[in-house]
Amino acid sequence: MSSNGTRPRIAVFKFASCDGCQLSLLDAEDELLAVAEAVEIAYFPEASRRMAKGPYDIALVEGSITTHHDAEAIQRIRRQAKTLVTIGACATAGGIQALRNWHDTAEWVRLVYAKPDFISTLKTSTPIAEHVPVDLELRGCPINKHQLIELISATLAGRKPNIPTYSLCLECKRRGNTCIMVAGGVPCLGPATQAGCGAICPSMNRGCYGCFGPMENSNAHSLASQFRVLGCARDEVERAFRSYNGWAWPFRRVFEEVPRS
Amino acid sequence: MGQTIRIHHVTRIEGHARIDIHLDEAGKVRSTQFHVTQVRGFEKFTEGRPYYEMPAITARICGICPVSHLLASAKACDAVMAVQIPEAARLLRELLHCAQFVQSHALSFFYLSAPDLLLGFDSDPAARNVLGLIEKHPEAARDGIALRRFGQQTIERLAGERVHPAWVVPGGVNKAMSVDTRDLILSDLPLAHSIIRRTLRLFKSMLDQFPAESEVFGNMPTLHAGLVDADGRLQIYDGMVRFIDSAGKTAGRITRPREYAKWIGEAAMPDSYLKAPYFKPLGYPEGIYRVGPLARLNVAESCGTSDADRELLEYRQRLGRVVNGSFFYHYARLIEALYAIERMEELLHLPEILDKHVRAEAGVNSLEGVGIIEAPRGVLIHHYRVNEQGAITGANLIVATGHNNLAINHSVQQVAERFVDGMKLQEGALNRVNAVVRAYDPCLSCSTHAFGKPAYRLRLVGAGGEVIEET
Ligand code: SF4
Ligand code: SF4
Ligand code: SF4
Repeated sequence: MSSNGTRPRIAVFKFASCDGCQLSLLDAEDELLAVAEAVEIAYFPEASRRMAKGPYDIALVEGSITTHHDAEAIQRIRRQAKTLVTIGACATAGGIQALRNWHDTAEWVRLVYAKPDFISTLKTSTPIAEHVPVDLELRGCPINKHQLIELISATLAGRKPNIPTYSLCLECKRRGNTCIMVAGGVPCLGPATQAGCGAICPSMNRGCYGCFGPMENSNAHSLASQFRVLGCARDEVERAFRSYNGWAWPFRRVFEEVPRS
Repeated sequence: MGQTIRIHHVTRIEGHARIDIHLDEAGKVRSTQFHVTQVRGFEKFTEGRPYYEMPAITARICGICPVSHLLASAKACDAVMAVQIPEAARLLRELLHCAQFVQSHALSFFYLSAPDLLLGFDSDPAARNVLGLIEKHPEAARDGIALRRFGQQTIERLAGERVHPAWVVPGGVNKAMSVDTRDLILSDLPLAHSIIRRTLRLFKSMLDQFPAESEVFGNMPTLHAGLVDADGRLQIYDGMVRFIDSAGKTAGRITRPREYAKWIGEAAMPDSYLKAPYFKPLGYPEGIYRVGPLARLNVAESCGTSDADRELLEYRQRLGRVVNGSFFYHYARLIEALYAIERMEELLHLPEILDKHVRAEAGVNSLEGVGIIEAPRGVLIHHYRVNEQGAITGANLIVATGHNNLAINHSVQQVAERFVDGMKLQEGALNRVNAVVRAYDPCLSCSTHAFGKPAYRLRLVGAGGEVIEET
């Protein structure tokens, strides 16, 4: 229940992202009216220095940390939040913009912007958990609306949300799909990816590209070898793992010899 | 140096997007600047990725209109493959795009702008949001929610996922449409149609309440640009870009996407993130032009569907053949939503749309590809260069908010001069500055406007850089 006896307060914060994940909240149209009655929702378009009075029962955080300002703001949010939930690949893994972590950011800032000093950008795009402790996370690019509703209702009821951590393959088989990797030789990240989306891509005849990120104990190495057997060149395999969740360690380590300290 | 009022907006990719209002010593508006974060990060970090990944990657630029990037990107990829996509695929893409127009226009109108329009610019900011709307105007709020849901549900029915669909691919789409899906969408159309008709009636009945806004919300002569077909009808998925001047005379036409750079120059602004595209034949900054709903209805001779054309006629009777006041973006947006709904019905009744051939397969046949579409907010251009292996060697994206950059700057200044008195920070006045930006529905005006706090932060900074007042 709420920390101050009134309606529980949910705040939504945004860092570097596309807004797609927080829109899932808006897309829970039917539930929106009910949720609006049960909780107080406070949106913060920009995690600003002066924030409305916390504490928040749930802070939903979208986006990755890419500026000094972000890095400070997330600390303040943590202090105000009873439960901090990261939503989406940007927040949980650095997102697609983490591809820049393999590029020279300073160089492109110089090339692109007329006054580079106007931009205080960090070299990397990093997940929230690299900055503050995170209580719960929702995967996906974007997240799944039903998981979001489950997470909010469970947290408010004081129970553990029912978010599966097994692989996408289970969900895919449950849906009755023929495996496109076995039957069609299409590279699919399903075996190493966490379930939750409903196996959208294999149902559309395309391989999963891992937008829900690595599953627990994901055996990304052996899947990478399997891709090679299917005829993918090394750089193709590398690109397959290096996308929306490329910065997530279980995917990243496949191609990085030096282990993280 | 005078004072600077800063209105902080939501961020998009990174950094800040904000409006600075520079005041002189007397507290009068000296100049204004609208700063935006560009999507440049995408243009750099996609280098080396295969071109066929671009639709899915660039869809992540924006969660509000991901389908626009998806489609512009897919069209650029079609050009790299040098293929003409199957007719059914073309129709299905347009159908998807229509659904996206409906959801995006519904979001813009009901969630972002209606609170200002229906509750009043000077109403309590704490309640000036969609929840406040639900309380005061429950029918309108419910209509808004239902209309957006219709658009989103259609996207989901076609593409399997609402925010970032994996259905559109280079060469066409991944899966043909079933008869059942078609019938489901058709059965939803009448409700959407009646909602938009009702909303248009409501909006028209309120028009007289905003004389000041109509007059100073970016009311200025500029060029307008938008896609039309050979007969000058409104197009959102394909066509040529037509430029007209503020009196309606054709100023130029981009008939081949590859030649866009002949007509559009991109100026770097000294201290903004955002480049300022301009109409090349007129040079910078005289080549200021607008894109989006207002511009599209100015550029098009007609919509091409019956109800939308009737509304367009009335719109022109009220406001003239070329409408130069940006306040009317809202009005134009509603007419376009009606058009999109009618166009969906037309498309769904074409027998070819059910054809099973929906994808052309090919490799790299051209080292350059350009895709141009109308995003809900205006012309969107994706331009890729690839090597023989199909890896991206260069990308240039011009988004709607970019095209409108110069126009937004002018509009902000116009409004600020009229409504902002530097000595007093008035909520209603500053909200109008914010609202004029919202009239353009720039990509950064995201869903965060929907609830709770106003979406900007305001600072009054003194000559020495000290913060005099902060809200
Ligand atoms: S995770 Fe994906 S959908 Fe969510 S904000 Fe990031 S880019 Fe958008
Ligand atoms: S198609 Fe992909 S997700 Fe489905 S079972 Fe095969 S490998 Fe797993
Ligand atoms: S199948 Fe994979 S890539 Fe597709 S939505 Fe699900 S997790 Fe994301």
